[in-house]
Amino acid sequence: MAPLPDAADRSQALAELLSRIALGDRAAFDRLYRDTSPHLLGVILRIQKDRAQAEDVLQEVYVNVWRSAQSFNPALSQARTWLNSVARNRAIDSLRRRQSEPQTLSRFQAGPDEDDTDMLQDIAADTPGPLELLEQASDARALKDCLRGLSGEQQHSLALAYYQGLTHAEVAEQLGHPLGTVKSWVRRGLQGLKNCLERASLALS
Amino acid sequence: MDYSRPELADKLAAEYALGTLRGPARRRFENLLPAHPSLRRATSDWERRLDTLTASTPSVTPPPRVWQGIQSRLFGASDALQASGGHIGQMASDAARSVVRWWERLALWQGAAGVATVAAITLGVMLAQPVPVQPPIVVVMGAQSEAAGNGIQPASFVASVSGDGRSLVVKPLTEGQTVALNKALELWAVPAQGAPRSLGVVSQHNATTVLRTALLKDTAAFALTVEPPGGSPSGKPTGPIVSVGKLQL
Repeated sequence: MAPLPDAADRSQALAELLSRIALGDRAAFDRLYRDTSPHLLGVILRIQKDRAQAEDVLQEVYVNVWRSAQSFNPALSQARTWLNSVARNRAIDSLRRRQSEPQTLSRFQAGPDEDDTDMLQDIAADTPGPLELLEQASDARALKDCLRGLSGEQQHSLALAYYQGLTHAEVAEQLGHPLGTVKSWVRRGLQGLKNCLERASLALS
Repeated sequence: MDYSRPELADKLAAEYALGTLRGPARRRFENLLPAHPSLRRATSDWERRLDTLTASTPSVTPPPRVWQGIQSRLFGASDALQASGGHIGQMASDAARSVVRWWERLALWQGAAGVATVAAITLGVMLAQPVPVQPPIVVVMGAQSEAAGNGIQPASFVASVSGDGRSLVVKPLTEGQTVALNKALELWAVPAQGAPRSLGVVSQHNATTVLRTALLKDTAAFALTVEPPGGSPSGKPTGPIVSVGKLQL
């Protein structure tokens, strides 16, 4: 296997594919799909747990990418970030459709074989849960350090919202705390993260 | 709300990128993005800050049917068949063929536009400028009387696009209720081939400004359709066309 090019090269290659797709290049589209669809399906599945619906979302994502590749602005964002955001937003929209159907909110979710699974148990299980993922993802040193600076509740709230697409109310239910408290954890967590990352980038420059 | 306040823009962008901005608030935010560069910048900044969190997400290879579905939705019959070489592709392509998407038949658009009062006037208002500047383009979007009914009363609109194709102002030419109260008007840039691009929801009564990088790129016509509040949920036009105007560059 050829050595993986570094992240900057990969993102540059993706940006080139997107600019060719904006011009209607179907070979570039094919290549982009092969390179990025397994990662994007993973991203979608963390939020939209229903496999069939997640595949529908993935389909919408690439239809959307083909049609709006020209709206990708390399000056504003990295290609990978742009693709991740399109996938996350579509996945969250698919939850909106689900939530418009009547359902009771609970920490127990219907499992794949009709059995209810406790999401808190899931988080504690061997498979990496949101908190473990958060730590694994903190490869970028600055983000890792900044996440560590947050309180445990703030970290947990951000992880549940970001990785699982939970609303404030759902996070409150998961953690067993009042809605207002959770909203303030999320708000302060985000603010703390931003301040810390800005200090880190100032220190570098 | 005053979205130009930086702290508010930043707070909304953060909750949008995190995913906790939901429901009508999320749709309102998305509709504001095209016209508010500062919101777009704040959103990109937050998406970048949080994006590192997706790096370790386990990959899941999608089954071939997903790619076949994409091919058949975008490119129709023959290619989906070619891509799959099997029965599933054949079925998918049959389905695609049976639903002839109206916006892919520009001939229909051109006919409709011919009936309406359509004019594209190039204004030479920049003559006094010392540096030659591309003049703006004005497109009259004629009311489509066929769309009348169900509380919809089509009206004519005028769209003016700056010469550099970066900003567009659309406003109604005629007074009067255009769509039912619980519906929205969505503006589309229609290319000669392929699907229209949404330019967002516009006001029925007042001027709406749309900022994009390339409004005129591949655009053959502008059209307004009636959509659910907040705009088409699918990113494709779903409602009747109430006005349309063809570009004559």
